[in-house]
Amino acid sequence: MSKMEKNIVELAESLVEYTTKKGADEVEVHIGQGWGFSVDVRNGEIEKLEEAGDKQIFIRLIKDKKTAIVDSSDFNKDTLYHLIINAIKRAEFSSPDPYAGLPEFDKSIEMADWKKLNIYDPSMDELSPEKKIEFAREIEKICLADQRISNSYGATFYDSSSETILVNSYGFCGTYKRTSCGAGVHLQAGGINNKVEAGWYDNSCYFKNLWQPEKIAQKAIHRVTRLMNPKKVKTQNVPVVLEPGVTRTILGFLYQCINGKAIYMKQSFLLDKIGESITSKGITIIDDGLLPGASGTKPFDEEGVPVRKNVVVDNGILKTYLTDEYSGRKLSVKSTGNASGANNFYLKNGNYEPEEMIKSVDNGLLLTGTMGQGTNAATGDFSKGVSGLWIENGEVIFPVAEAAVSGNLAQMLKDIVMVGNDLRFDRSITGPTVKIGEMTVSGL
Amino acid sequence: MKRVARLAVAGSSLWSDLLLESKVPADALDSFEAWFGVTKSEIKKVLSIAKSRGGEFSELYFQYKISNSINMEEGIIKETAETISLGVGIRVLAGEKTGYGYTNDLSFEAMKNAALTAAAIANEPGNNYIANLFVSKPNRQVADLNKSMAEIHFPDKLSLVEEANNGANKYDNRINKVRIMLGDSLEYVTIINSDGLFISDVRPQTRMIVISLAEKNGIRNSGLNSGGGRVGLDYFKKMCTPKEIGEKASEEAIILLDAKDAVAGEQPVVLGVGQSGVMIHEAVGHPLEADGNRKGTSIMSDKFGKKVAHDIVTIYEDPTIPNFRGSLNIDDEGMESKKTVLVENGKLVGYIQDKLSAKIMKMEATGNGRRQSYQFNPIPRMTNTVLAEGNSDPEEIIKSVKKGFYAKSYQGGQVEESGKFVFSVNLGYQIENGKLTYPLKNATLIGTNVQILNKVSMIGNDMGYFLGSCGKEGQSVPVTAGTPTLKIDRMTVGGRQ
Repeated sequence: MSKMEKNIVELAESLVEYTTKKGADEVEVHIGQGWGFSVDVRNGEIEKLEEAGDKQIFIRLIKDKKTAIVDSSDFNKDTLYHLIINAIKRAEFSSPDPYAGLPEFDKSIEMADWKKLNIYDPSMDELSPEKKIEFAREIEKICLADQRISNSYGATFYDSSSETILVNSYGFCGTYKRTSCGAGVHLQAGGINNKVEAGWYDNSCYFKNLWQPEKIAQKAIHRVTRLMNPKKVKTQNVPVVLEPGVTRTILGFLYQCINGKAIYMKQSFLLDKIGESITSKGITIIDDGLLPGASGTKPFDEEGVPVRKNVVVDNGILKTYLTDEYSGRKLSVKSTGNASGANNFYLKNGNYEPEEMIKSVDNGLLLTGTMGQGTNAATGDFSKGVSGLWIENGEVIFPVAEAAVSGNLAQMLKDIVMVGNDLRFDRSITGPTVKIGEMTVSGL
Repeated sequence: MKRVARLAVAGSSLWSDLLLESKVPADALDSFEAWFGVTKSEIKKVLSIAKSRGGEFSELYFQYKISNSINMEEGIIKETAETISLGVGIRVLAGEKTGYGYTNDLSFEAMKNAALTAAAIANEPGNNYIANLFVSKPNRQVADLNKSMAEIHFPDKLSLVEEANNGANKYDNRINKVRIMLGDSLEYVTIINSDGLFISDVRPQTRMIVISLAEKNGIRNSGLNSGGGRVGLDYFKKMCTPKEIGEKASEEAIILLDAKDAVAGEQPVVLGVGQSGVMIHEAVGHPLEADGNRKGTSIMSDKFGKKVAHDIVTIYEDPTIPNFRGSLNIDDEGMESKKTVLVENGKLVGYIQDKLSAKIMKMEATGNGRRQSYQFNPIPRMTNTVLAEGNSDPEEIIKSVKKGFYAKSYQGGQVEESGKFVFSVNLGYQIENGKLTYPLKNATLIGTNVQILNKVSMIGNDMGYFLGSCGKEGQSVPVTAGTPTLKIDRMTVGGRQ
């Protein structure tokens, strides 16, 4: 443990002690500190360069089954003491909640060693600002060399490192570090009145695993140029192939419907569905916080509960909701280690090449992106604007203009007819290409 | 001295008492020094270090913000929180380039390091000149600082939350679960730059949100309503009571229980008063922000002075409207706020400018440079964006549609700079023979801004406002968007077939 780390742990411990002394029954102190760098390059010139370090302290206390929270970027001890006393006063005015409380620290569960999770790249420190600027410049240069690209929003490179410290009154004391880097570009193609836009960003915990500028640039060029000169389509019900970025959107919506809070607040169409078939056969959906090197990997969640692998949907059957301590108590189950939200929430790979999936469509839509909100967890309703390509006889034939795609998540999950083999763990919610049997595409 | 000053700031009641005593208290240098524990000579040194590598402009943005929130679910206060955000953002401009650093450690050493980081955007012999600091204060007060939420005792806030909870639950026995969030903040900013500007502002902000869930025969749906702005307690007593907010959320949830899926396809669309401000914000506001226009990414970048909408359409930006969520005395670059006309009788006459874009485009800044916090550089943003009222009776507008879609409330919207936008409708109605009939859910409206603006054929003589938070480049800021009832001749409705 470095000296700085030790000081932070000592600060957290002293605040736990102070809060307990002032009358709290339970308390946790969570300190995050981080450092980040980012550069935006546009038309070959640096547009913005930013570098900063920052820290934040978060305290949750429970008194007589009443919860109050303190959150501060001011680390002055007198300030923090004052905030703690305010919080205790607020708790005294609140009403008791029998389910309130921190998870008890279970020493028998072995915590993963963060150093073995491949989430911290010590070599990131050695990257020079010049190299990072050059990385972004290179991406944009390749893109602008393509005659079809009419404008650039700029290319970005960022990297960051952060450290998490969590101490609670049950004797839990955990720390871990992580690094993250990413690069990408957003582009326009087409004329002033028929512009289209798209881009690509890659992310990784390790610099050596980040896609190289050439690969990022080619992906971005492909994603925008294929949208040029779109046409409107008629309103119709057709098969829809979702690219991985769109599968992520759908899985994000599913996560919203299977997290414990949505269930106890009845804001989910999946209420009372444990043990039932909710997707087509062969579909497996997992949340695994321990996947080495993945973007949502961590040894413990925000409450100090060790994360684990939870099979949420096993061959079509809903096995569990994902809970934190509070929603777990409300639903009479243990926390699944999801107090920080989704860890690595993903749909398992299938056997199909994405190209085969497009080939299987006679008349339908390849959905490359969505726009807007348009989700309702209580009903499962789903309706979004479309970025996409029309498929006829297994071939992509033109991009689609001004269309929306609508369905209901309950029906969509049961109508997954093919799953691709192109899963990547570049985001904490992720999935492969997926084909849905039928959705409504609204147009003319 | 530092210690005492910070302690004074930290005690929220003490802090707000002092603030409210003189309305805008830190309009003098010595009180600034007391608040932040930073001296004038340190400020000048930091500004100078920031310019030392050849930047032509340096700026410090000090922020101290205290936020309080109460979260009630199922009739129980689940948690309350007090949040303090303290820090300084340091910006350097060199031509079109921006260097930015920030820190929440206000020691001279930490600020000097952040200034050196920002300074590195330039790489030439520096001109360290910093103009004499001229301490000034805003000329107007858009916020209601009387009975500010920050000085209201906690039990009184709890009773507002309970009033909303009762309103929502008693509305109908099919209301099953209710969630209420009451948040208020008091933000103090001081903006100091190398041109000698030294200006401070106090900004209260309050919002109550109620989400009601209705259940009938296993069918569930939820409704949402909210109220707030730069207001004090009087707003919840006189303008918009928590009971009303709760009842409206429950009303929407109950109506949605019987809603059908919207009919997909192109059709006439009537955008309901107020909530449809989302469309003005997305379809007009964003494409008129100056950064996208100077870079040529916006569809509006070649249309200044040209016709972009039907003659009857006039749209303006107005941060000076009292007490609104997006209202400002000064922007986050310290410029006095003012009304800016964007579209006049269908012609594009104004862009939404910050200092950097205005300089590059050789146009006037409009006081629209905003940022989420000290951790972000300012960019051109909307405040309160309004489509001016017209002459038509709203009833007549609905009557003019034989068959079509009426949009009542929204989840939000999104736009690309190409002008392509979508709005996600939470509650709509089917129009049949000039009348609103059954309720509709699960709809998306989709279009391209210039085309839709030209298809606005009737504008109501009513007016209402949508309260929202606008996200751009990872920064969220509070905004308001207003509109009367509007008729769009044809628009694509995403629904089910």
